[in-house]
Amino acid sequence: MDLAIYDLKLHRGRFIATIVGVGLLFTIVLAMNGLYRGNINEGLALIKATNPDLWVVERYRGGPFNEQSTLPESYHYSVKAIPGVERASPFIYYTVERRIRDKSRHFSIIGFDVFGGLGGPQKIYAGRNIEQAHYEMVAHPKLGLRVGDSVPLGLHTYTVVGLTKEAVSSDGEALVYVSLPDAQELLYQRDNEEVRNQRERLLRTLAGQSFLSTVQAEKLLNALQPDTHLINAVLVRLSPGASRSDAALAVGKWLYLSAFSTEEELQLMLKGRLASMTKQLLLFRTLLLIISVVIVSLVVYTFTMEKIRSIAVMKLIGAPNGVIIRMVLEQSLLLTIAAFLFGMLIIQNTYRLFPRTILLIPGDDLMTFMIAVAGGILASVLGLWQALKTEPAMALGA
Amino acid sequence: MEILRVEGLSKIFGSGHLEVRALEDINLSVSEGDLVAVLGPSGSGKTTLLLCISLIQDPTGGTIIFDRQTIFQKNGWAGVDMRRIRREKIGFIFQSHNLIPFLTARQNVLLPLSLVGTKGEKAEGRVRDLLEYMEIADRADHLPAILSGGEQQRVAIARALANKAKLILADEPTASLDTARGTRVMGLLKKIAKESRSAVIVVTHDVRMIEGFDHIYQLKDGRIIGEKANSAHDQ
Repeated sequence: MDLAIYDLKLHRGRFIATIVGVGLLFTIVLAMNGLYRGNINEGLALIKATNPDLWVVERYRGGPFNEQSTLPESYHYSVKAIPGVERASPFIYYTVERRIRDKSRHFSIIGFDVFGGLGGPQKIYAGRNIEQAHYEMVAHPKLGLRVGDSVPLGLHTYTVVGLTKEAVSSDGEALVYVSLPDAQELLYQRDNEEVRNQRERLLRTLAGQSFLSTVQAEKLLNALQPDTHLINAVLVRLSPGASRSDAALAVGKWLYLSAFSTEEELQLMLKGRLASMTKQLLLFRTLLLIISVVIVSLVVYTFTMEKIRSIAVMKLIGAPNGVIIRMVLEQSLLLTIAAFLFGMLIIQNTYRLFPRTILLIPGDDLMTFMIAVAGGILASVLGLWQALKTEPAMALGA
Repeated sequence: MEILRVEGLSKIFGSGHLEVRALEDINLSVSEGDLVAVLGPSGSGKTTLLLCISLIQDPTGGTIIFDRQTIFQKNGWAGVDMRRIRREKIGFIFQSHNLIPFLTARQNVLLPLSLVGTKGEKAEGRVRDLLEYMEIADRADHLPAILSGGEQQRVAIARALANKAKLILADEPTASLDTARGTRVMGLLKKIAKESRSAVIVVTHDVRMIEGFDHIYQLKDGRIIGEKANSAHDQ
């Protein structure tokens, strides 16, 4: 005889309302699980997809993703000269906001050596890779572009030659691959008026130097223009059998740069940019789980208090404590499990609507379910304590 | 056969100047088929006596022998599983019926059977028989909330009888019923004592309801001040 079920049938309205309420809390917990996974997945996707043997960045910087790193483009020749290095490619990565099809879009640009260099898109599911030095791009479908589309960016119009979705930026935004010179132009391109103004300012500064003639100042002007041949990292592919640590050591020792393996680069992200978000989500999930347990606990306590006289009668007619414990515990677990399943149902049908990627992993769902069940057991403690201390004499009005 | 013997039972609450002697030197004997009334005004110790012989409250002194087994003596309870005795051998009827509100009439009667492990058709058949015996079979699937007071009390009696209890304890079973329904319930208790051979102890303050009882114990200030046996029923 399942007393818990009979009682819940009588209070089915409150039971369903509690399932919906707690279920929505579980929906948020599960969404946050997915957000956490999505955050990690997106934050690391580009590093994993690029996967060189070494990332060479500015010294003492955890770049190019976790921290800004700036190198002269020519440094990749020096890196190439390190023993054991087979290929060294310049790599640039930055985030922009531009209008695409009359909509302001936030996305990241990757510039790479399109003629056999590292760092380009690995899996193109439509179209082809970039084959020309200029004005071709491979884009992520998040931008809503199709192969053959023309996209005005800066001073030029780019043609979408391929689509890839293997990676997104560490912020979850779309990626656009272009050639290195194009990427540099897009990054450093300035308004003509600003270029003229800057030249005027520099010329005035030079003209003010007593040791320079006007002719010398004008000659120097061109040489002192800001360098736009800058990159964020050099990607390295080692020769077969070459030692990664030896190459990294040589880069540090001789070039005064830092070199990280892909695994180290992943760890930099996990312990750096992604860490605070991860902790934040963990805290929210913990709080929501505690709130869920408290709500279930209060509902179960109320259910128990409402039938405290019935519990006294049951004790009086000889019901063992096991029968009463089972009744209270079963109600708590039924509420928790039903709410969890409701939460699962909601998130499974809505996760695509979230602006950020919600990556649902069965292992996470199972873990949350187990925590929820443990919480359900915990939630029944208050009700159980009240039920077990009820005196059978209460049934006789004593 | 004697079902219950109580000898020199006492119950004292508190101590010193706060001491209250709720029961003092209570002696009674109940045999199978007996219909016994414990009469007394409020505060006379009726409920305390009921709690002691229900094995719920610890007496301060005396002896309780139930079904030929000494279960309480001056050293305390004799290591018996009191809940087991209650669920297997004692049936309870309450003033306010005390049906489980989320169980139907049928399920309320089924509950004590399921507590002793009686299941399936055997249990269902027993419930059916009892509800028919109580003339409420047509209300079997109704929740207590929609049964009348008299119907609820008959379900409560059926529940008390479910496990063929040797002793049925009824606490003011007619207090919440009108005279006609109260008389009918008392009639049922008499019928039960006669037909099922259960000993029935009714605690009441209503002298109008105890006509035809085998023994009547009159309680006042925790003491039995009068005892009356109906010789017609003593044979």
